[in-house]
Amino acid sequence: MQTESLVDRLSRDLQPVRRRSAGRDAMYLLVLALAEIFAFLGMGFMRPDMPTAMDQPSLWWKLGSMGLIAGLGAGITILAADPLRSPRRGLRWIFACIALIFASGWLIDAGGNDFGQLLLRLDWRNGLQCVWKMDVLALPPAIAMAILLRRGAPTDREGTALAAALSAAAWGAFVFVFACPSDDPLYIAVWYTVGCTIATVLGRAVLLCTSRW
Amino acid sequence: MAAILSIKAGGTPSGNWDHMMAAAQQGDAGAYRALLTELTPWLRRYYARRLPPGAIEDTVQDVLLAIHEKRHTYDPARPFGPWLAAIARYKWIDRLRSLKASATEPLDETMHAPDDMEGAVAGSTFQRLLGELKPSQAAAIRLVKLEGYSAEEASRATGQSVSLIKVNIHRGLKRLAHIIRADADAD
Repeated sequence: MQTESLVDRLSRDLQPVRRRSAGRDAMYLLVLALAEIFAFLGMGFMRPDMPTAMDQPSLWWKLGSMGLIAGLGAGITILAADPLRSPRRGLRWIFACIALIFASGWLIDAGGNDFGQLLLRLDWRNGLQCVWKMDVLALPPAIAMAILLRRGAPTDREGTALAAALSAAAWGAFVFVFACPSDDPLYIAVWYTVGCTIATVLGRAVLLCTSRW
Repeated sequence: MAAILSIKAGGTPSGNWDHMMAAAQQGDAGAYRALLTELTPWLRRYYARRLPPGAIEDTVQDVLLAIHEKRHTYDPARPFGPWLAAIARYKWIDRLRSLKASATEPLDETMHAPDDMEGAVAGSTFQRLLGELKPSQAAAIRLVKLEGYSAEEASRATGQSVSLIKVNIHRGLKRLAHIIRADADAD
């Protein structure tokens, strides 16, 4: 097709468009996050000993950590859906946060547990169930991120897809915290890392394809 | 080059592209048509320095389509130039990647390049970027992707095996995309 014909075709029957708004995108994600949490808890998945668990520093550690990564990743994804923004600096912040999360988890663990009986503490049967549940919970945010990226125009698709996948993975883990029966930092560090890594790797591969424009 | 620097700095050659794009977002077909018509020669010049001649027109059309599909992402509070430059650079990287996958056909022996093409290509940004690659990668890309030789002919000319020619093209184009993105991040 001639370029001039293409210009004619594109400008013919031009329709007004609704401008993209980062604030509106953030609000949609927040509404989805609240809806998923309420639906999850409404189905009776909250751990029965939640009032007692709230006294444990490790509960707040995992809740805060996952919330921080999910929020940071979502913010970076929203900003990087603008063609003028790069996600690279934000990704460096995420990785710095992950390093801090592991370091603080080690401190909590050193304060309250010994390193004996590692296999017993890891409780692999329960751990695999946790991985499965947090990855299923990461699906709604991953779909939301895919829609967000399709509507946006990320010019660094690899970095943006990684930020979005990290956010979706941490989001799934964040929701799962309300049901997670373990407060052992070693268990959390191992199985949450496994679950988030699986969700991130798969999510990044899918989001990389869906974000192409 | 001055026009491109001006675009990146937020200026636009015609001075009113910002308003034309804002009007296009409101559905003003006349302003949109005028804008795309003005952008076309600018994009041709932009890619003439960065891509093999055979890929320029397709890439210009890709950018026009991208502008159309993503016009809602332009913020009229900001200048149009950097937005356009970001999309043009994205499509440049995209095109370089697609060159890796595209089949190479031998040129017809009766086909002649314009007299000034060699000089134009030699002075291009693309050639400068090729200088940042390993000589074997640059030679493979130059022979197969720019001059239209087959992988077998390039193999005979350079002494590299056919599979090495293909590997060097793949790695060289991947490296080029990385260099361009690194430049963009540095900006």
